[in-house]
Amino acid sequence: MNILLLLIPLSLLFLAGAVWVFFWAVDNGQFDDLETPGLQPLDDSDKREAPLP
Amino acid sequence: MARPPSCWHCGEALTEGVVIHVQVAGATRPMCCQGCRAAAEWIEQLGLSDYYALRTAPAQTPAPEADNAAHDSWQRAENARHVIRDLGGDRRETLLLVEGVRCTACVWLIERSLGAMPGVESVQVNAVAQRARVIWRETATSLPQLLRGLARTGYRALPLDAHGLDDLRRRESRDALKRLLVAGFGAMQAMMYATAIYLGAAAALDASTRDLLRWLGLLVATPVVLYSARPFFAGAWRSLETRRVGMDVPVALAIAAVYAASVIEAVRGGGEVYFDSISMFVFFLLAGRYLEMRARHRARDLTDALARLTPPFADRQREDGTLQRVGIHELRVGDCVRVAEGGIVPADGVLLSERCRVDEALLSGESAPVTKRSGEPLIAGSVLENGPILVRIERTGADTTLAGIAALVGRAAAERPRLQMAGELAAGRFVTRVLALTALTAAIWAVVDPARAFSAAIAVLVISCPCAFALAVPAALTRALGALARRGVLVVKPDAIQALAECTHAIFDKTGTLTETTLSLADLHTFDGVSRHEALRMAATLARQSRHPVARAIAAADPGIEGVAMSDVATYSGLGVSAKIAGRVFRLGRSDFAVAGKPLAHEYEDAVLLADDDGPIAAFRVSERLRHDACAAIDALRAQGVTVLIASGDAPSKVASIAARLNVAWRARLLPADKLAWLKELRAQGARVLAVGDGVNDAPVLAGADLGVALAEGSELTQASSDIVLKGTRLDTIAYARDIAQRTLAIVRQNQRWALYYNFSAVPLAALGFVPPWLAALGMSLSSLGVILNALRIGRDSALRPASPASLEQAPAVACPRPAA
Repeated sequence: MNILLLLIPLSLLFLAGAVWVFFWAVDNGQFDDLETPGLQPLDDSDKREAPLP
Repeated sequence: MARPPSCWHCGEALTEGVVIHVQVAGATRPMCCQGCRAAAEWIEQLGLSDYYALRTAPAQTPAPEADNAAHDSWQRAENARHVIRDLGGDRRETLLLVEGVRCTACVWLIERSLGAMPGVESVQVNAVAQRARVIWRETATSLPQLLRGLARTGYRALPLDAHGLDDLRRRESRDALKRLLVAGFGAMQAMMYATAIYLGAAAALDASTRDLLRWLGLLVATPVVLYSARPFFAGAWRSLETRRVGMDVPVALAIAAVYAASVIEAVRGGGEVYFDSISMFVFFLLAGRYLEMRARHRARDLTDALARLTPPFADRQREDGTLQRVGIHELRVGDCVRVAEGGIVPADGVLLSERCRVDEALLSGESAPVTKRSGEPLIAGSVLENGPILVRIERTGADTTLAGIAALVGRAAAERPRLQMAGELAAGRFVTRVLALTALTAAIWAVVDPARAFSAAIAVLVISCPCAFALAVPAALTRALGALARRGVLVVKPDAIQALAECTHAIFDKTGTLTETTLSLADLHTFDGVSRHEALRMAATLARQSRHPVARAIAAADPGIEGVAMSDVATYSGLGVSAKIAGRVFRLGRSDFAVAGKPLAHEYEDAVLLADDDGPIAAFRVSERLRHDACAAIDALRAQGVTVLIASGDAPSKVASIAARLNVAWRARLLPADKLAWLKELRAQGARVLAVGDGVNDAPVLAGADLGVALAEGSELTQASSDIVLKGTRLDTIAYARDIAQRTLAIVRQNQRWALYYNFSAVPLAALGFVPPWLAALGMSLSSLGVILNALRIGRDSALRPASPASLEQAPAVACPRPAA
C-alpha cells in the first residue's frame, strides 16, 4: 500500500496542473467562441500578406 | 425545375438586360448589381476568393455608396467617444455589430480583409453574435476607414455602445466554466477515493489508510464547496436578504450541512464522510446552470434592442438651409431634419414636404407602405420609401412611440404569471421538509443514543436530499435544452419549458410570421388573348423601374432574361409607371391611372393593371405568400390540442384570406395594446397562451403571454422580450418543441416520483440507523444514475426531419402565377 503515498500526490499534482492549464485557456479566450475556429483548417493557404492597393 | 440565373455574390435573381461579369478565382461569374461587382472584385483583389468555396449561404447584397457619409460622421470626436475604448498609447478598441454575417465563411472573410488593413492589430468575429471586436492604432487608421473597409467587402457595420455589458457577460461565462470544471475534477477525484473506502469497508481496510483517503477527499471537495458552489451561497444570501426562500436557500443549506458534517467526521475519525456525494451534487447543478446560461447568452447575442431600429445620426437643417450631421441624442424638439430615400426616420415628427411613402411595418405590422401628406405625423423607426423629405421633430428619445412600445414590453413582462415560482416553491418545500426530518432524527437520537445522533441525521440528509429533487430537474432540462438547440429552438428562459408544455392557445402574428416578409404575385388575368408570358414580361419590364413593393413582386415573378428596349420612362408616385416600348406607350399601376377612362370590368378595379392606349392588357393581383411550413405547423399544433388564433395589425380583408386558408379564428387591425387586451381576455377564461411574432408591434404581446416565441429574423426588441427564439424560420419546430417540453415535464415528474418512493423506503431506515453508510452512498449514486439515464430519453426519437441547411437550395423568390380564375 505504500505505493499510494507516491501515486496519490502524483495524481494530485497532475490534477493541479490540469486545472491550471484550463484556467489559463479560459482566461485567454480559448472557450469564448467555439464555432468560428472550426472553419480555419479548411483554409490551406496563408493569405494574410495579401497585397493592398 | 431549372433555377433562374442568380447573382454569384448575393444570390439575388438577375435583372434581365443588365450584364455584369466578374472574374472570380479564374472563372467568369454573373453579378446582379454594381455593389456586388465591387464587393466581389475587392474580395478577389485581396486574394480571399476562397470565401466563395467556404460559405454555406449567399452573401448580403452590399449597401449602396450613400453610407459613406454616415461613416464619416464617426470621425467627429463627440460622436465616436462612446464607442471607442482607449487601450493606452494609440491603441483603440471598437465593438462592431456587423449586419449580414450569414455563415462562418463570412467570419473568415471579415477577419482576413480587416486584418490586412494597415493599423489593424487584431480582429475577432463571433458569427453567432454578429459582432467583431477590432483593436486598431489611431495613428494608422480610423473608425470611418474600418467601416468603409467592411462596406467594400459587402458588410454594414454599426459601432456598439456595449463594452461594459459585453465584458460582464464574458466574465460571467468564463467564471461559470471554471467553476464547472473544478467541480467536475473534484467530483471525479472524490468519487475515486470514496470507492476505495467503500470497497475497503468490505475488505477490511486498515484505519490509517481509510483516514488518509478521507483527508484526501476533504482536500478535493473543499475547492468544490468553497469555490464552485459559491453562486449557490451568494444566491441564498441574496434571497434571504430580501426575505424570500428561493431554490438556492435549501440547496446552500444542504451543501453546507453535509460538508460541515463530513469535515467533523473526518476530523474526529468516526462515522462516515460524504465528500463524493457533495461534489457530484454541485457538479450536476452547475452543469445544468451552465447550459442554461449558454442558451441565454446565445439568444441575447442576437438581440440588441433598438440599436438597429433608429439610425445613430440625423441630418439637421440649419436656418440657412445647410445640413449638419448630428448624433441622434443631440436632436431637439422643433429641429428640422432631412431624411434621404431608404433612410430611417430618426424621431417622431411631422412631415414638412408635400408627400412621401413610408414603411411602418416595424411598428404597425402592416405590410404595405403608407402614403403621408404634409402635416401628417411620422414615427421614429419607419423606413422612407421615396424621398428625400423634411421632418420637423416633435418628440425625441424616451417620448417616441418606439420607446413607448419598449416601455409597454417592460410592463407586460412584469405582469406575466410566474409559473416557475410554483416549481421552485415545491422544491423548496421538499428540501425544507427533508431538513426538518433531519433535525427531528437528530433530536430523537440525541435522547435515545447521543453517540449515533449525528451519523443517523447525516444519513437521512444524504440519502434523500441531494439527488432527490435538485438533480431531477436540471438533468432533464439540460437534455431538453440541448435537443431543442439542435433543432434551432433557442430557449432563453428556462421556465419556458413548463409554459410550453402547458399552453392551450397559440396566438400567431400574421405579417412576417405566418407569411413571408415580401409580397409575391398571386394571380394574373389577361385580356384580349394576350399570352400570359408576354403580359408578364411587359409588366416586369415596367415594374423594374419602380421600387414600390408591389412592383418588386411583379418584377420578381418574371424569370425572363431577354431585355426589352424602352424609352420615356416615367414613374408617378402612388399611381404607377409608364414607358414607351416599340412605339407604344404602356402603363402599369392603379386601374384609374393605367386604364384612364377606358372601360374595365368592375372586378378588376382594385387590381394592378397593365394597359396601353387601347385599353387593358392584363390584371395582376399581389398578395402575401404563406410560409411553406405554416400550414403544417398549425396542423401539428392543432393535433396536439392547441387552439390556434391569428392576431394581426393588418387590414381585415388580408387577414381573413390568410386565416381562411389556415382555417383558424382571427382578429384584425389590432394595436399592440389591443393584442394585450385579447390576451388578458383569453387568460381570464383560464387559457395558457403562447404567442408567436416577429415585429416590434408583437413585442408587448410576447412579453405578456405565458410564453413568447420570436423569429430570429424578426426585430431585436421582439427577441429581447421573448422566452424562445426560433433560429431560421421553421415554424413547424414549435410543435416539436412543445412535444419535447411535455416529455421533459413527464420525465421530471417521473424522476421526482422515483425519488419520492426511494425516500419513503430509505429515509425511515436511515432515521432508525439501519442503513450502513456505504449503502446510503450507493443508493444515492444509483438513484442519481437512474435520474440521468431517464433524462437521456428526451429527444431520442426524432419526430421531425432535420432542419435543412440555409437556403442555397432555395431559389430566390420567384412566385409561379396561378392560372387565372
